[in-house]
Amino acid sequence: MTDGQGPVVVCRNVSVAYGPTTVVRALDLEVRRGEVVALLGPSGSGKSTLISALAGFLPIRSGEILINGRTVATVHRCEPPERRDIAVVFQSYALWPHLSALETVAYPFRRRRVAPPEARRLAAEILERLGIASLADRRPAELSGGEQQRVGLGRALAKEASLYLFDEPTAHLDAALRTRLQSEIGEQRRRSGAAAIYATHDTAEALAQADRVVLLRDGRIVQDGSPTTVYERPAGVWAAELTGPASIIPVRIADQHDGRARLEVAGVSQTVVVATAGARAHGEVRAIIRPDWVRLGGDVPAHVDAVAFRGTHTDYQMGTVAGTFGVRVAGPPTMGLGESVGLTLERVWIPAELNDEGASEGPNL
Amino acid sequence: MARSAAIRQGAAIAAAAVVIVVIGWPFVRLGGVAFEDGLATALATLTSPLVASAIWNSLWTGVLVAVLAVCAGTGAALVTERLAVPARRWLRLGMLLPLLIPPFVGAFGWARAYGPRGLLDQLVGSDLSGLYGPLGVVLVLTVAATPVVWLIVAGALASRVEPDVERAARVSGAGPLTTLLTVTLPLLRPALGSSAVVAFVFAVNAFGVPSVLGTPAGFATITTRLYQDLALSAEPSAFVRVTTMAVTLVVLAVVVVGPTDALLSRRGATRTAFAAGGGSNGSGGTAIAMAMGAAIVVTTVLPFAAIVLTALTRATGLAPVPANWTSANFGEAVDSRFVGGLVHSLILACAAASIVSLLAALLAALRGRAKVLGSAVTLGFAIPGSALAIAVLLAYGAWLGDTLAIILVAYVAKFWALGHRQLAGSIDRLPPDQVRAARASGAGPADALWSIVVPFLRPSIVAGWLVVFVFAIHELTMSSLLYGPTSATLAVVVLNVQQLGDPTVTAALAVLLTGVVVLAAAPLAVLGAGRRAPAR
Repeated sequence: MTDGQGPVVVCRNVSVAYGPTTVVRALDLEVRRGEVVALLGPSGSGKSTLISALAGFLPIRSGEILINGRTVATVHRCEPPERRDIAVVFQSYALWPHLSALETVAYPFRRRRVAPPEARRLAAEILERLGIASLADRRPAELSGGEQQRVGLGRALAKEASLYLFDEPTAHLDAALRTRLQSEIGEQRRRSGAAAIYATHDTAEALAQADRVVLLRDGRIVQDGSPTTVYERPAGVWAAELTGPASIIPVRIADQHDGRARLEVAGVSQTVVVATAGARAHGEVRAIIRPDWVRLGGDVPAHVDAVAFRGTHTDYQMGTVAGTFGVRVAGPPTMGLGESVGLTLERVWIPAELNDEGASEGPNL
Repeated sequence: MARSAAIRQGAAIAAAAVVIVVIGWPFVRLGGVAFEDGLATALATLTSPLVASAIWNSLWTGVLVAVLAVCAGTGAALVTERLAVPARRWLRLGMLLPLLIPPFVGAFGWARAYGPRGLLDQLVGSDLSGLYGPLGVVLVLTVAATPVVWLIVAGALASRVEPDVERAARVSGAGPLTTLLTVTLPLLRPALGSSAVVAFVFAVNAFGVPSVLGTPAGFATITTRLYQDLALSAEPSAFVRVTTMAVTLVVLAVVVVGPTDALLSRRGATRTAFAAGGGSNGSGGTAIAMAMGAAIVVTTVLPFAAIVLTALTRATGLAPVPANWTSANFGEAVDSRFVGGLVHSLILACAAASIVSLLAALLAALRGRAKVLGSAVTLGFAIPGSALAIAVLLAYGAWLGDTLAIILVAYVAKFWALGHRQLAGSIDRLPPDQVRAARASGAGPADALWSIVVPFLRPSIVAGWLVVFVFAIHELTMSSLLYGPTSATLAVVVLNVQQLGDPTVTAALAVLLTGVVVLAAAPLAVLGAGRRAPAR
């Protein structure tokens, strides 16, 4: 680990390809010390490939990668993984079938020429911290999926790297264990000041865990911002639907100042918090509306099309003359199918993309 | 339920009966004859100089070939599956080439390429001294055994050593060599063990190679000694020696194969195959690929080219240039013996392949419920062909001697395991839920078998048939001991001509024999490619 103040990772114009297929295209990314960045995208978006390039498993086709200010990859050079200041938690766990949990976690220490007894002591300490000290002598075949995952995490922690790479780290875990692991990862990061990059397709996890969310589509960055930004101001319909439920509704903006606007939706006039990105924030526009931006009660006439009880809240689909809204309300359902109700809009987001291109995606929840 | 239990019972009884006929009874007879005059006589024969030296030669060449072939095959597998080498597909294909050439043809090829008055001798005026003798026997057997090791290790690299497991070591700070030593090789240990056993059994089993390269130099192994005593000697003590050596071969096979088989079956379920990764991008990839290509050319391509050139040249000793070319050797080769041998080989190979397919299906129907039968079948394959042939001869020689039928019995005993392994392997991969889904959809047991299981197994049945066919076409060891005046197979015809010492006609016959093998193996390659395609 170095004490430099510069970014831990710099990717400049990085492209990565498998044979003839380019998977990551001319990508720029910087990750600062102590920062957690989530790479969020569907499968095939290039997030795992980018992780592989950062780790040194794949060479890059263009650009350069710097870790701690040192160039580790260019088109002509690919520094091997063992010389990079990184640790990786693999999606497939990638545990060694012939080594016990303790031997696995001791392995990175041994590679740094730590004497065997000391390496075992340090490894045991990490297992203790992860709550699996009792499994020290077990081999992967004798461990459950969650236990294997923790051993894999322990091995990464033993590397004491500046950059932790997580390839879908919690993809196979149940919710309770996932929460536990996330806090362990977070603690390690605070303790050592290391940065972390997560590749995930789980939106809730990305928004909850990361300081920054990078949305990837077909190997390109669609949006790069804080969790609140990508949720409240998604770059477009694709980004909006990736980061949570969203309805696309035509509205008519009458006048607008100080972030509030009078607008007309389904023929009814409302005053709402409005955010716009450039372009025509006037007249007929298409707006993105999250289900938690709509309140029950009000003047916009609607009827219940669908109800789904989710435990902590209830999701409704509300039909209006302007289109179908998703509406999220705390608590159990209070209305049945077909019932009529009035709605109030509290907030809308008018992305540039939707109105410049005139994209024609229908309402979607 | 009662009906399927009855079917299973019937299958078990039928399979057991065939096992007893083709494997059990012959070995009971072999043991009986060998110990007819008591243990002391058998031991005395065993320690007589002729027998003891043959056993010793078989043992040490077997061990040496196993070690060399495991090193070469594992190295090649690491290169083709893990390094970023150019022309990876061609290297893989090159590794399989020796499988297409019957081992004794390979030995003949080496003699024509690097031996006295061979290609090298004619070009640069020097030859590989010691090619006739133990050195040549070990070299050529290693070349022939390496592809088998390569297949086993490359398969294990793909299925047991996921690239992520090696990457995890690299990320943990291990260099390429440390990763190889601490992760890759330990994970390959079962594959290295089983391939060493296969190479050892193959080498001890070998008859053609020591007979072409060892016998002229007076270097005898158990198999060549057996052949000489049985086929060429009339003295009564020769027959005692034959049975004693055959029993020795059986004991060797059981001692070596038994524990390994038990050990390997314990290792549990293998992992699902993983697409071979790009591997590390070593800068020396091109150099390594070229070195490997050169090795394939020297060990396999040149010897075969030497055979082709010899076959095309008018007389031995003439330079193999177009001015001296002729097709007369082929004309001379294709005589009534050749045609008879070809017909016999085709009949035997077709019959053996079909019978083995049926028997394999019978065993598969038992789905691992008859472990003893499975082990007996494996043993049939592991026991050297010489011993098997002697045992079959003792059991059925009186009724079936000198007929194709007795050769067929030996083929079935030997190759049953090949078909069985193919089918058993893929029946394990059939998810049980698929049959349950068919039954839940309203199919009866027979209907489910026909509509779900048989289509799933069809490629394996076809592949098993073809593998047995290819092996049977160039089988030499057993055929050379069992053939009679009217039942010589193609390989036997080639060997006899070779022993008469006419290189040009032998070469023409060897080319034709290899051609038949290649023709038979071609659909197998297509099948293999088709089966690998969906995994990509």
